Amino acid sequence: MQVTRRQFCKICAAGLGGSSLGVMGYSPDEVLAQAHAFKLSRATETRSNCPYCSVSCGVLIYSLGDNAKNAKSEIIHLEGDPDNPVNRGTLCPKGAGLLDMIQSPNRLNYPEVREPGSNEWKRISWDQAFTRIAAHMKADRDTNFVTENSTGLKVNRWPTVGFLASSSAFNEVGYISHKILRGLGVVTIDTQARI
Amino acid sequence: MTTIMKPGEIEPPVPKAPWLRLPERETLFARRGERCKTLAKGHVLEEYLLFMAKVAEAQQEALNSYGQTALPDAALLHLCRQHGMPPLARQNWQRDASWHGALREIIGMVRDAAKPATKSSLDRLLAEGGPAFEAMADRLLAGDYAGIDLAAAPLVGAALQVYWMHLVTTLGRDAFERSAAPNLCPVCASPPLTSIVHHDGIEKGQRYLHCSLCASEWHMVRIKCTTCQSTKDIAYHGIAGDAGAIKAETCDECQSYLKIMSMEHDPNLEPTVDDLASLPLDILMDKAGFMRSSASFFLIPAEEVVA
Repeated sequence: MQVTRRQFCKICAAGLGGSSLGVMGYSPDEVLAQAHAFKLSRATETRSNCPYCSVSCGVLIYSLGDNAKNAKSEIIHLEGDPDNPVNRGTLCPKGAGLLDMIQSPNRLNYPEVREPGSNEWKRISWDQAFTRIAAHMKADRDTNFVTENSTGLKVNRWPTVGFLASSSAFNEVGYISHKILRGLGVVTIDTQARI
Repeated sequence: MTTIMKPGEIEPPVPKAPWLRLPERETLFARRGERCKTLAKGHVLEEYLLFMAKVAEAQQEALNSYGQTALPDAALLHLCRQHGMPPLARQNWQRDASWHGALREIIGMVRDAAKPATKSSLDRLLAEGGPAFEAMADRLLAGDYAGIDLAAAPLVGAALQVYWMHLVTTLGRDAFERSAAPNLCPVCASPPLTSIVHHDGIEKGQRYLHCSLCASEWHMVRIKCTTCQSTKDIAYHGIAGDAGAIKAETCDECQSYLKIMSMEHDPNLEPTVDDLASLPLDILMDKAGFMRSSASFFLIPAEEVVA
């Protein structure tokens, strides 16, 4: 049985006259003229997860654009993913409004800092942000790290920092998060997917 | 004590959509004919669509009066179910001559409406009789179109559709099992004509592949190439500015496309008719360098490419 055979057809402008349509006596001229006047548009559908709550509903994101370097692609529509076993195409009212969140003018597009004692937000670079967070974390860890408990047993805990992981994180991200945090001695780890 | 639930113990809130939808024997061809007439008004292929309406009506009548025919036996059905093989495979199923009657009936009903070129082809085919019917059916079902009479071939295809639909609807849904090749019809091993996304009930938003021969529909997840199963670089090409009900789902991996029709945009879509009526999209897709992965009996190209 030729079940794996892949068969392609060529339906092209030049071949229509010799196709069954033309041979049967119908002229392809008008349809060719119409095709000539039309333009193609290109869109994509992308699977993603709703970032709001721990249910992590599957969503389909529709975007316009041809992936060309200069053209900016634009998200035009969003709906529940009917193939996702969790939500089967449904979304709650908050999730159904995701498009407004994605396109909100109030979204934060870059890191900002409000220094202690100041009431002003100041834009900083990603490098500055990461360096600043790392410096704060290191200072806190150096101050509060516990190497032994009251009975002298080695414990290597960092009890003053907790971590809440995203509900959209998949297994591999969960593994890496766990490795890094436990390696630093963080005891309090939780994920929003549990809530 | 706390009861710990095991996987599968929680009842799903709604039943799952069926993986296979069989065609509705009483209405499918009649609906196809109606759709032809609706779309024909002012269409660039108006004359052809009106002729196709006649063909669909003749198909419905031929199906309504279809006589006795041999069906696959229980042993074959069991074997096919076990191995995920389509029991009515288009090239392997031993056809009996019952479909010749359907072909004669259809030609009889549409001959007067046909163009002179088609008429003479049909007369020639009728004069040659059974062996010529079988020879053309073999070629059509093998996708081997070189040198066949393309004016008569669509009518032979129409009769084969009636025959297969009679077999499928007589056997019923339980006779079939998921196919080992997800891109081929689990009933008759044909490639799909189009994808169709349903709009109603538990099938809302689900993509089905519509069979080009027996009109059965089988489920496939969305955003996936129906030819090579790739999920990378899938895009949707449409005609800029139209209602967006029919798009070409393209795959950059195998450079092929299959049309995908959204009933959420137009609940009256009929795969066979809307495939013909959206011929300009095929022409544009060819220009864009994509190959059509589906074959319709009602638009047989002059050349075929096997990759």
